[in-house]
Amino acid sequence: MNKPENRVDKIVADLLRGRRLRLRGGDAEEKAAITAAARLAAARQGPPRMNPAFRKRLESALESAPNGPWLTRRAALVAGLGLAAGAVTGGLVGRALEPAHPATLGPAARVGGAVVNPRNGRWIDVAAISDLVEGQGKRVAAGGVGAYLFRRGDSVRAVSSICSDLPCELSWSGSGGVLNCSCHPASFTPEGKSTNEKYPLPALNPVQVRVTAAGRVEVLGTA
Amino acid sequence: MLQLPMAPRATDIALNELELVYAFIYARVGNRADAEDLTQLVAMKAIPRLREGAPASAIRGYLFATARSVLGGFWSTRLGLSEAELHEDLALAVPQEPPSEERADTVQRILAQLSDNYRRVLELRFLHGYSLKEVAAEMNSTVGAVKVMQLRALRAAAKVKET
Repeated sequence: MNKPENRVDKIVADLLRGRRLRLRGGDAEEKAAITAAARLAAARQGPPRMNPAFRKRLESALESAPNGPWLTRRAALVAGLGLAAGAVTGGLVGRALEPAHPATLGPAARVGGAVVNPRNGRWIDVAAISDLVEGQGKRVAAGGVGAYLFRRGDSVRAVSSICSDLPCELSWSGSGGVLNCSCHPASFTPEGKSTNEKYPLPALNPVQVRVTAAGRVEVLGTA
Repeated sequence: MLQLPMAPRATDIALNELELVYAFIYARVGNRADAEDLTQLVAMKAIPRLREGAPASAIRGYLFATARSVLGGFWSTRLGLSEAELHEDLALAVPQEPPSEERADTVQRILAQLSDNYRRVLELRFLHGYSLKEVAAEMNSTVGAVKVMQLRALRAAAKVKET
């Protein structure tokens, strides 16, 4: 069953039976074929409509959802969104790198993001401090941990390169001095704070960083 | 902060918009259970906007941006892709400007650009629901050869650009 044609056919057969996509890491090799299969499977039935029972569930979820300026990722988990919420929480960061969530969800959860604390993390050399320009963000990757570095004098701070609201990569805008989300109108200061006053998003997760005696910058990431 | 529950009319508007989101997501994941989970996630994230009573056009833009992102997260998590690979995958899974309603002939247009054998195997398997054995009989081939052809045809279909 290790041949790619067998594995892809298993996924196709599941799709044709209306089952969920049950994928595993090795399937990424055939991601193009798998996403094409999902689209073809969807096309079998013409324009899809929501199942009436699901529509009803959605209606009651909309009307009884918890209050708050934004549904945080933690709240999505609490709300029982299960795997789908996991997709967002894990998202680009990956489950092993999920920030340690505060035990309770309160205002503090939205004020400061939890530090990215990878399981089995290790310090990865990502740059020389002399490479960093004050006032400019530098994107680095420490294994699976993406971060933006900001230098101030001889010290460096780092924030996650992933938006705190949607699992999307941020990009540094030198002219604006902010990190912009690639998926929606959201931006963050180098300290990781949301710039939007009307819809304040959770702060970016800080990433652990240190400067060695030799002037190298190391980020706590994954091998 | 005390907020009123969503007015019934706002809920109806939201549900109508979410029908489009559901169709958009379903067309990309190909199964109901995953499409429902992801649509619900999009809805939950959009609730503050919906409560505000923003016009439907503004809500739609936000819902589809959220849907794109949620789909990216879905593929990333299910396939265990890294950040760099996800960008590629996002481009693959969701076009830059998603139509508010899927054009029903998109798949036919993709199939039309494939070679005869590739198109035939995918039509029989996906659109007519043939088993591998039935496809093999129809094409005078073997099950093993059809499996390989199916994989190659899917890879080729993934390369066809949607217009």
